[in-house]
Amino acid sequence: MDALRQAVRKALADEALQAALDANAERRRAARERAHATLPEPWEVMRGRAAEVRADILAHWDEVLTRFVARARANGFIVHQAADAAEARRIILDIVAAQGPAPRLVAKSKSMVTEEIALNAALEAAGHRVVETDLGEFIVQLRHERPAHIITPAVHLRRQEVAQTFHDLLGMPYTEDVAAMTATARRHLREVFLQADVGISGVNFGIADTGGICIVTNEGNGRMVTTLPRVHIAVMGAERLVRTPEDLALMLELLPRSATGQDLTVYTTLIHGPRRAGEDGPEERHLVIVDNGRQRLAQTPLADALRCIRCGACLNACPVFREIGGHAYVGRHGEPTPYPGPIGIVISPGLFGSEKFGNLPYLCTLCGACAEACPVEVPLPELILRARAPQPATRHSPPATRHSLFATRHSLFATRHAPPFRSFLALYARLATRPHLFRRAQRLLAAATPLLARLLPIPFLQGVGVSEETGIANEESGITNEELGIANEESGIANEEPPFAIRHSQFATRNSPFATRLTALDGEILPAPDMTTAGEAIVRFLQREEVTEVLAWAPEHLPAEVTAALQRAGIAFCHGEPAACRVGLTGAALGIAATGSIVVPSGAGRPQAASLLPEIHIAVLRRGDIVPDLTTALRRLDLAAAGMTAIITGPSRTADIEMTLTLGVHGPRRVVVVLVG
Amino acid sequence: MKVLLFGTCLAGTFRESIIQGAVRALQRAGAEVLIPRGLTCCGQPAFNAGDWEDARRMARHTIGVLEAAGDVPVVLLAGSCTAMIRHHYADLFADDPAWLPRARALAARTYEFTEFLVDVLGVTDLGVRFPYRITYHPSCHLLRALGVDRQPRALIAALHGAAFVELPHADECCGFGGVFSAEFPEIAHAMLERKVANIAATQADYCLTADPSCLLHIQGGLRRAGVPTRMLHIAEVLGETWQKG
Repeated sequence: MDALRQAVRKALADEALQAALDANAERRRAARERAHATLPEPWEVMRGRAAEVRADILAHWDEVLTRFVARARANGFIVHQAADAAEARRIILDIVAAQGPAPRLVAKSKSMVTEEIALNAALEAAGHRVVETDLGEFIVQLRHERPAHIITPAVHLRRQEVAQTFHDLLGMPYTEDVAAMTATARRHLREVFLQADVGISGVNFGIADTGGICIVTNEGNGRMVTTLPRVHIAVMGAERLVRTPEDLALMLELLPRSATGQDLTVYTTLIHGPRRAGEDGPEERHLVIVDNGRQRLAQTPLADALRCIRCGACLNACPVFREIGGHAYVGRHGEPTPYPGPIGIVISPGLFGSEKFGNLPYLCTLCGACAEACPVEVPLPELILRARAPQPATRHSPPATRHSLFATRHSLFATRHAPPFRSFLALYARLATRPHLFRRAQRLLAAATPLLARLLPIPFLQGVGVSEETGIANEESGITNEELGIANEESGIANEEPPFAIRHSQFATRNSPFATRLTALDGEILPAPDMTTAGEAIVRFLQREEVTEVLAWAPEHLPAEVTAALQRAGIAFCHGEPAACRVGLTGAALGIAATGSIVVPSGAGRPQAASLLPEIHIAVLRRGDIVPDLTTALRRLDLAAAGMTAIITGPSRTADIEMTLTLGVHGPRRVVVVLVG
Repeated sequence: MKVLLFGTCLAGTFRESIIQGAVRALQRAGAEVLIPRGLTCCGQPAFNAGDWEDARRMARHTIGVLEAAGDVPVVLLAGSCTAMIRHHYADLFADDPAWLPRARALAARTYEFTEFLVDVLGVTDLGVRFPYRITYHPSCHLLRALGVDRQPRALIAALHGAAFVELPHADECCGFGGVFSAEFPEIAHAMLERKVANIAATQADYCLTADPSCLLHIQGGLRRAGVPTRMLHIAEVLGETWQKG
């Protein structure tokens, strides 16, 4: 039996996996549909525009990439371009080696492209220690497995399995309490963040006009690895570009909604170079732009797949993925692919060759649910059909030559599986141009069906002949609607709360949309009519929490009334060990009403650590600084002026263990916005 | 109005009552129905299996037969075959200046059965009495590749005496997928089990659909699971040919 079929059978027989995949499919679908309803414009309109934005990038790829690289360099990024996986690995290994002799400690946040280039194995082979810090990736790495989903790496695991792993490998007393497991991971990984020599992240989007990168995460590990280690390496697929901050805003309206059903991820980090004078953050930022087959793919009929923004919506919508999960997508000789699901069965053969992965495009019924869910209108069923066909070398193939009726089979067929069915199809195709023979064959086939139905496990054959057999139509049932008492059976899944759903908030009617949104995301609001009152409110809050020291922006960057109130109350500004501080205090440049987000740019005297490391983050926001939406916010900000800009939407959260929502995995557990005015 | 009826190879091989039903329904709706001699298979199985050369051969045959039969609407009894002619014939002949215009001309006059009745002939109520509890499985190609959903539902709503129950998760694939269910029968079975459970939950006497392929696949699953619900093609119901082949 070939490797793929073996992997499929294994997945289908795994009951825990089946339960997990069911939960994933149903909850993600419900969450996505709910999130579509909060889009500022209709879904079809917005995804149409997003598709155009991405298609335009691919049409002018060289030009946009060149501008992006030039501006990123001007911002202080050290930019490397890697033609293939081997070159990318070599570049990264050299950067890590330059930090001192092995073993160096490398903290990684989730990145599909580093999976693609098999980076971890290369770093470990060079003697370094690599730690995945996304909770799901961390679990998968501890278990020596691979991510089963591009967004939810540990989707295949039940809490009992995670509990056992944490017990065995982290010394945690066995508990199936997800919050306790998450807290253990937080403690363990916090040390990694603080000690790491190098942080490695992926990139969601490169912004050509500003020369910056955007990374979205929920847990805060993305911010940690891009803020704390001395060196940050961002690894990006060469196609992951937008031109402008407005285009980025459009993508960010669609990406989290399509991925997890959130209006915006908790942390949307915009990075425009290494630390500036007086800032915290890495001294060195490297950007490794990986091609690895992308330019070549752009010249094939599969080019539209490069529009993909890796949201994972097609995986969650796919009925085949729902049955078999990510690990079952293996190549002809059992090679795993980092990209499963509908997009994976196109780009795996597209990027890594159909000699290896030409079997994957057949893992699809062509039902089209993926295309319906795609936020950038990748025509997945069309691409899957093209990926099944022998690929011409270029997009414009020469006119088809007329084959003779009995032309030799294409070589693709020779390596395909299920030969009897293939032979049948080939015969059928030949008969189809000879109507008389065809008709006779039809009769023969119909007559042979009862026998075939017993021999072959194909339900279709067993469905033949049913209506003829029963003849029940002749009986008049005489049933009326009333007697049937029809009720519309609902499956009941709609009632389950998706992990990132907006909960009903008491704030809803009395306060601003900003406050409504933030409280719905488990954020807190301290309203204050003026800065003096705000200062007093903050002091009362800190006293209630029995806190005497805050990790804060420098006094001159906080409102004078707030600084004065803190000093009067004897609350100290932490200077020594920032990691020990329980509360961080910052200002906020802007608030975003539509998502309940605050925008916190870095700068001299405005450490990013204050909004990231402590358990509680307090931010002072003037009501007048609230803008309606993300687009307005990105337009208003001078992005390249700050090394980092964090758009923070509520407390740090994860749902990586059994999709159970847990707050405060890496970033603050509580976010308190002091809303002034 | 004259129409050419392409019964599709599956219906022709396994369930002729679908074709007979369509003939009667179209006639009742005022159409003059011709079944062109020489039609076989549109080429979809080869196309979906990645063999475009065979698919082109079958497409050229189909185009030739339908051109010779006259320049009138072509009605098909399957969403997936309609999508094949309407969308994919142009893909097959994208680089062939001789065949591309012919493929496009055929695509422009090709309709799926329910779409043709409702949108072209303007008929929903054919006066058919069907006093049963029924549900509807929208096949994927009909629903998503062609965007045809309102039409079959209008025809079903107009059946006299029928009690309609919405199928839970109606838009989920049944797992047939042509080549797919032969290459990955285990996955096809798993998907089919879901569909069968949803149909069973409706307690319908009949589940209607408009694709012979999904119909036979699901019927196989129902039978195996011992669910008494029977699958019928809408054409069989509208033409009242479903009781005996």
